[in-house]
Amino acid sequence: MALADVCGIKQNQFSLSGSAFRSDTSELFRDVEVGSNNFSMPFNFDPVENLQQFQQQDSKVKIHFDHGTTTLAFKFKHGVVVAVDSRATAGPYIASQTVKKVIEINPYLLGTMAGGAADCSYWERVLAKQCRIYELRNKERISVAAASKLLANMVYNYKGMGLSMGTMICGWDKKGPGLYYVDSDGERLTNNLFSVGSGSVYAYGVLDSGYKWDLSVKEALDLGQRAIYHATFRDAYSGGVVNLYHMKETGWEFISRTDTAELHYKFQDEKKK
Amino acid sequence: MSIMSYNGAAIMAMKGKECVAIAADRRFGIQAQTINTQFDKIFEMGPKLYVGLPGLATDVQTVAQRLKFRLNLYELKENRNIKPKTFLSMVSNLLYSRRFGPYFVEPVIAGLDPKTSEPFIASLDLIGCPMITEDFVVSGTCSEQMYGMCETLYKPDQEPDDLFETISQCLLNAVDRDAVSGWGGVVYIIEKDKVTKRILKGRMD
Amino acid sequence: MSERYSFSLTTFSPSGKLVQIEYALAAVAAGAPSVGIKATNGVVLATEKKQKSVLYDDSSIHKIELITKNIGMVYSGMGPDYRVLVKNARKLAQQYFLQYQEQIPTSQLVQRVANVMQEFTQSGGVRPFGVSLLMAGWDEDEERPYLYQCDPSGAYFAWKATAMGKNFVNGKTFLEKRYSDNLELEDAVHTAILTLKESFEGQMTEDNIEIGICNQDGFKRLSTAEVKDYLASVQ
Repeated sequence: MALADVCGIKQNQFSLSGSAFRSDTSELFRDVEVGSNNFSMPFNFDPVENLQQFQQQDSKVKIHFDHGTTTLAFKFKHGVVVAVDSRATAGPYIASQTVKKVIEINPYLLGTMAGGAADCSYWERVLAKQCRIYELRNKERISVAAASKLLANMVYNYKGMGLSMGTMICGWDKKGPGLYYVDSDGERLTNNLFSVGSGSVYAYGVLDSGYKWDLSVKEALDLGQRAIYHATFRDAYSGGVVNLYHMKETGWEFISRTDTAELHYKFQDEKKK
Repeated sequence: MSIMSYNGAAIMAMKGKECVAIAADRRFGIQAQTINTQFDKIFEMGPKLYVGLPGLATDVQTVAQRLKFRLNLYELKENRNIKPKTFLSMVSNLLYSRRFGPYFVEPVIAGLDPKTSEPFIASLDLIGCPMITEDFVVSGTCSEQMYGMCETLYKPDQEPDDLFETISQCLLNAVDRDAVSGWGGVVYIIEKDKVTKRILKGRMD
Repeated sequence: MSERYSFSLTTFSPSGKLVQIEYALAAVAAGAPSVGIKATNGVVLATEKKQKSVLYDDSSIHKIELITKNIGMVYSGMGPDYRVLVKNARKLAQQYFLQYQEQIPTSQLVQRVANVMQEFTQSGGVRPFGVSLLMAGWDEDEERPYLYQCDPSGAYFAWKATAMGKNFVNGKTFLEKRYSDNLELEDAVHTAILTLKESFEGQMTEDNIEIGICNQDGFKRLSTAEVKDYLASVQ
């Protein structure tokens, strides 16, 4: 109990008596074998109410989610450009500079990661499973609209329970390039251009001044990379490398992984000319 | 978020053989937003005496000016250069005079004695508790990282050039694990007959 | 005529003088003589301490006082005024130490005491001090001795050697003849005693003079036994 006291957890919140956790062994088996959408929870546990102590600013046991990020994606004439940074922070501490924030759902679908890293990667993994099942059942690939809606519906079931994700689902289907924004509030939007994360404001600034539908592939990739670089410069919680993807009719292609330090001096030299 | 890390800063000082070094990052930001990357946090207090002020930027500048004010009066009144240790007392007194409404800075002092050229480094907390050390001092938003770097790279009695290399590596690698400091650095190497200022290139993210 | 202008200290006489200060200097010149000599390795202060009656317990009366461990002081003029200045000087020295964690340099103490004395020539409701001070100090930083005189006006001077109080002109003339730049402290003590002796009335004993010396070990007032030894070697 000493640890619980230190953490400020109230008694009886997580009762440790025998029946606190569901102990139906068959269910536990099923979890291991096929994966489950049923998360084990303490007995009599209301996540909306009880998880608040992990979210409040002054909480002694606040869970620091990975909020700092810059991700962007935009549709144009030749597909979708996806660019992201690679920094993970816990408070002001830089936990990693080499995070992969683009999740490769399948060869025609990409998801970006902002917010809770675990939430994004888990739910996009579940999404990958659902998309594969769809393909097997229907003998054709799922549309970007449908895939993004699957995700939106899944996270909507957990609304208010502390999920944290802001993702862009990018793909290519019968209608051409597809781009949807989905977040943990249950919001789902489509547009030509999105940026998500603490550095998104800076990325939007660059993106809006350079964006045109008729961009060449080279111009579009450069614009995406440039926007992320400028966001990493201004935003303390974005940085590391710029990962760049291009979604084409033939599926996505990984373009480059460039250190922002390299980009900084490249762009600086450009200004001098 | 703590007011001490509102603007972000990383400053350290090191003793060498007949020399001292003081280094700082160059970022001025408002929480996550980087505003300026040529910001001064180290101030000349005498020909061989420097003070680094990490903390709330408005207080950094106010404290630097008030210290210079007190120092100018001291040197006029006493007609001599201040000793680093005496300057430490001066800083301590200024900070403690605001004990119940502090300046949000935790200064680092580095210098050579004006007569004997004895190396001196020290740091203070924000209400003026002085700490004199024989090897290095650090202060700022990534003090853990700076301690880690200094503990591993520091060697006593280094020549000025080696000391420059050591302090530069310590600073740059420490700030690379801190979101709110970095964006380049500056190092002063203080020797008996010269002071060398060098700007360091660093990661700009 | 001068009475017309003596109602307030802050009023100049038509000739441009502050006559109260001159009266204070007169009080000093009428006081018991004091001598100070700076040697290569220290300073000596010496003063006459004659009592009006043999009934005084002279072991309880001191004219030479310690201000910090490195600085001592003596006066010519009015004893009670001196006490006020000693208290002030000690406080100023400790304020300096509190501020800088460093012993006050002699020059700084003199300057600050002189400031106090000056304030008493310009403030309302007070009179100037009826004393001149001799301050002897050893500067730890520069590793050298200092000797300063401080007058009621607030003026101060650094001396190699000087005399104040009764017969100070004769004392100075004597010192001018005897002083040399490579004087050592032991010789300086002898010279100081001889200077006092020049104008001393009656028999000089360890009980009616006082001597203080200052060197790298700090300032100290000599005990009667030590003074007795010096007197024996002079005679």
